[in-house]
Amino acid sequence: MSPVIVRVSRRFDAAPERVFDAWLDPATAGRWLFATADGQMQRVQIEARLGGRYAIVERRPNGDAEHFGRYLEIDRPHRLVFTLAMEEDADQGDRITVEIVPDGDGSLLTLTHEMAAEHAEYAKPAESGWTMVLAALDRHLA
Amino acid sequence: MTIPNGAAILNHMVEGNPQRLDAIFHALSDPTRRAMLRDLSGQQRSVGELAAPFDISLAAASKHIKVLERAGLVQREVQGRLHVCRLDARPLHAGVEWMRHYERFWNERLDALDALLKAEDRVAAAASPANARPANKPSRSK
Repeated sequence: MSPVIVRVSRRFDAAPERVFDAWLDPATAGRWLFATADGQMQRVQIEARLGGRYAIVERRPNGDAEHFGRYLEIDRPHRLVFTLAMEEDADQGDRITVEIVPDGDGSLLTLTHEMAAEHAEYAKPAESGWTMVLAALDRHLA
Repeated sequence: MTIPNGAAILNHMVEGNPQRLDAIFHALSDPTRRAMLRDLSGQQRSVGELAAPFDISLAAASKHIKVLERAGLVQREVQGRLHVCRLDARPLHAGVEWMRHYERFWNERLDALDALLKAEDRVAAAASPANARPANKPSRSK
C-alpha cells in the first residue's frame, strides 16, 4: 500500500454497470481511457479477468503512448483495481482504484491513483502521507 | 500529453535532478519531519522551538533539520546564538505539480467517458419512439 497521490470523483447519468463496463470493454475503453484528441489508437487488448493484463497503445504526434497493467480486483459494478505501467510485463507501476456507487438514477465514481512502488518505500502507510503536507503547504502558499 | 509514470514526471519537474527528488521524498517520509514542516509553514522557528513538541533531544532534532536542509526544504541561518529555520517550499511545488498533472489527466479521461456515455444515450433515445417507454425490457439476444 502506497500513499494516496490523487483522487478524483465524478457523477455520471448512467447506471453503475455501464460506467464499470466502459473500463473493461475493449471497444469502449479504446475510445476514452487513454485516448486523446490528437492521437490514434493503435492497440487495445483487455483480458477482463482477475490477474488478466491490458495493453492500450495510442500513436500521438510526439510518439507512442503505451499503457500496460494487470487487473488486481474486478468486482462488477462496484470496484476495479489495476496497475498502470509504461513497460509491458511490468508488474510494478502505479495502482488505480475505481469505485462506483449508485447515485439516484446515475452513479458516482471515485478514482484513486497511488504512487508507484519504487517511491512507496519512502512513505509510511500509517501516516496520511506526504501529500497532506504538500496540500497544506500549497494552501499556505496560495 | 502522454502520462509517464510519476517518477518520470517528477524527475522532469525537478529539472533533471533525481537526487534532489529522492532527498525530498526521504525528507517527507518521516512524521516528525512532516510535523516540523507544518510548524514552519506558519512562521520561522529556532531549532529549540522546532524540537519542543517532540520527545527528542536537540541533537536528534538537529539531525532531522539537516535532512530537511539537504532536501532544500529548510534554510537555516545563525542569528547570534540562535539557529533560526525557515521553510523553503519551492521544491515541494514539483510534487504539487505532479499531483495536479494526474488530477488533470484523470478529469480529462472522465470527461471523455461522460461524453461517450451521453452520446450512447442520445443514439438510444433517437432509436426509440419519443416519449414511449417500452412495456417490456428489450430481449438480451444479440
